[in-house]
Amino acid sequence: MKRAITILTVVLTASAANAKVDLVTLPTRGTVQLTIYNSADLTLVRESRALTVKEGRNKLQFSWANTLIDPTSLEMLPKADADKIDIADLAYPPRVRNLGLWNVQSGISGKVPVEITYLTSGLSWRAFYMGTLTEDEKTMRLKGYVRVTNNSGEDYENAQTRLIVGKVHMIDQIAQLARRQYPYDRPGVEVQDDSRDKLLDAKKKVPLLGDAPIVGHLFHGEGLGRKEVKKEGLSEYFLYTIEGTETIPTGWSKRLLSFDVDEVPVVNLYKFEQQRYGNSVVRFLSFKNDTEHELGETPIPGGLLKVYRGAGDKGHLSYTGQSSFKYIPVDEDVELNLGAVADVVVEPKLMDLKTANYRFDRRRNISGWDEIRTFKIEVRNTRELPVKVEIKRNFPTQYWDLKQTGRVGNFEKEDLDTVKFTLELEPRSKQEFGYALTTYHGVRTEGR
Amino acid sequence: MNGKKKTIMAIVLLLAAAGLVEARIKLVALPERDATVIRLDNPQWTLIEEERVLTLQQGLNKVDFSWKGVSIDADSIRLKALDHPGANVTLLNVSYPPNEAALVWEISCADNYAETVRISYLLRNIDRLITYKAIADKPETFVDLKSYLVLRNFSGEDFDKARVLLDYGEAFEQGIDHEETKQMLFLKADKVPITKMWTFDAAKLPWDPEKLENKNVGIPVSYRIVNDAKSGLGEFAMWGGKARLFQDDGQESTIFLGEDVSGMVPVGEKMELYIGDSRDIVVTQRQMKDIQVPTHKNNDKAPKVVLYDTDEIITAKIENFKDGEALLTMIQHIPGEWDMEECTLDGKNLKLGVDYKKKNANTLEFEIKLPARNDDGPAVKELMMHFHRRHLRSGYKG
Repeated sequence: MKRAITILTVVLTASAANAKVDLVTLPTRGTVQLTIYNSADLTLVRESRALTVKEGRNKLQFSWANTLIDPTSLEMLPKADADKIDIADLAYPPRVRNLGLWNVQSGISGKVPVEITYLTSGLSWRAFYMGTLTEDEKTMRLKGYVRVTNNSGEDYENAQTRLIVGKVHMIDQIAQLARRQYPYDRPGVEVQDDSRDKLLDAKKKVPLLGDAPIVGHLFHGEGLGRKEVKKEGLSEYFLYTIEGTETIPTGWSKRLLSFDVDEVPVVNLYKFEQQRYGNSVVRFLSFKNDTEHELGETPIPGGLLKVYRGAGDKGHLSYTGQSSFKYIPVDEDVELNLGAVADVVVEPKLMDLKTANYRFDRRRNISGWDEIRTFKIEVRNTRELPVKVEIKRNFPTQYWDLKQTGRVGNFEKEDLDTVKFTLELEPRSKQEFGYALTTYHGVRTEGR
Repeated sequence: MNGKKKTIMAIVLLLAAAGLVEARIKLVALPERDATVIRLDNPQWTLIEEERVLTLQQGLNKVDFSWKGVSIDADSIRLKALDHPGANVTLLNVSYPPNEAALVWEISCADNYAETVRISYLLRNIDRLITYKAIADKPETFVDLKSYLVLRNFSGEDFDKARVLLDYGEAFEQGIDHEETKQMLFLKADKVPITKMWTFDAAKLPWDPEKLENKNVGIPVSYRIVNDAKSGLGEFAMWGGKARLFQDDGQESTIFLGEDVSGMVPVGEKMELYIGDSRDIVVTQRQMKDIQVPTHKNNDKAPKVVLYDTDEIITAKIENFKDGEALLTMIQHIPGEWDMEECTLDGKNLKLGVDYKKKNANTLEFEIKLPARNDDGPAVKELMMHFHRRHLRSGYKG
């Protein structure tokens, strides 16, 4: 078993002017807790060890060769007899890499439990979803998974694993701090060490993480016993603590089921907006992260969702598409972009163009006019299912006026040059509506 | 572990017989460095003061001070006699030998003395950093603040034992070798009150999250700490440095909240540390109206607009999806000359100077209290600004 991090306790006799090594012990790691972030390549490691100290000066050597630990983040705290243990300083000795030396003044002899914390890179987690639509596409079975990957160079055995959803602000990348020649660099000189960079680049095959999802009710290793997950909001983040411990050797990943919700009501939403999507209609699957949709317990961090559809009685599936989505707070709408479709069609047609209300200046040049465009919008649903269609129209100017014709309800003004029409279509049906758009130009804009 | 580095700086005492024009040079002693002070109160340079005992003879003495592999500002080197200052031990002149990192002091001595002298000089590549570590309590009302001093010695010189002085606090003894870095706790303040702030700056953040495909707009979240006595601080200016913030998770552990770099915070001033982004507060800001209203035209045969105003409406919908309340600071910018026709929050009129502040000619600051999300969904507030920019001269588009 690979073990990159080592701790040596070197006990020095209190009275000796020159250090005299009395005893060397190699305390084993007691418990270890990993708090893994998904918005940055960052993990907070907290481990407990029992050190054997003697009264007087002790030196504790901590080394981390071939790992991705940020040496500036190292901290050790006694968990008992704190008033008798003084951690005087942490030295990074010259001409030695990946090694720290704590000078500890102890008022007692014997075992002292300590907690060592540090930040490391190389551990990551991401989440992904699988959705299976019912044949009528009214509900979807939604399964969320997380995949935890350890490329840190260190094996973490039986680690309590916690996952953080949230966007932390970072000044430095932990991986860069880990590869510095000197922990805090050196005054005035930026040190580059290419050979080490290459070594670490080879090790650091950590996938770039976007947001990854966890919702959940239960975590369990597939095929293994169920694991509860404790969910809690802390500051601006969400913390998920997986029950029990996990062992993920370096280089390995582990996939865990984060939740499984059977019937999430969904809406088939089709959007048409030429400025954004061209002439295609884009299909969205929409639901809400709330209790009505069997969700809403925690935010859903963004991730990739593969959507399938039930096909036939024997549990066969057809693949509908995939979509990545962003972090969804509780009570927020989710819109999954499943891509352009051909079975719902929106056809805007310019039916008439007129100009009017010309204004002329003293030289008889044109100084203002109106343009009146009459559009007909035909919307066709060729599917055997009802659909909701959202049509946005963008205008090239903020000086406009719109008169609507047809059966569609009122339009909504989105912003100064965008309006939105919303339609609901029965299976295999067609709707038509129209509008006359007047745009004002030149002096005709005045006073509008 | 590490081989002890040989001292690179050397002092050689050269005895020149008094009265002789041609110096009769004789190596007399190589005095050891005695008390050493490393003074780190200047961010650019570190002042070293070291004491040595020189065996001086009556008459003229030459003391050669040389260095190699270290960066000393030669003009900064000073010598001070401590036992017999004044007429008894007089520094006559300082000369610099050619092409050498060295200088020679000529010292006149009234008698034979074992004289303690203090040599001071500015030395490069030895400095200190300050870092902060703060652990917030679960409700985020205070932090336990620790500050660490990080000594970095890359000067080329080993210091076995030195008194280290900062610009505040007690001096302490510390040895540090060349290429060694040492980190030590030097400030601990428990229960320092904090203010948590969410800030939406309309000039820095996207207005309409809907237009960003699969991307959240995070609202920056900061902690504010005041360097004053009420906070258990305020004794001295807090030096700038990197701060890492953690939070007690209530399970005898912590989570990492984020990190930021603070500038120097004088006594009475505030330290603001940006920890991360909130994605549970969503601001959707839209321009609903932007109309040009001509006010003056010229006398051309085809009159052109030479001056115009605008008629603009901006709305901002603020949704709080959090379980807790939040106080959002919203910064809005209106360039040039302008006046506000109407400003409302949820339809209620807001008064300038009472309900919102004018930070400067073009910047407005609103503090908007956001209730927690409830069973019906997120708490929603809607800000509306209806304003006119005045006397705009160019760019009229018909």
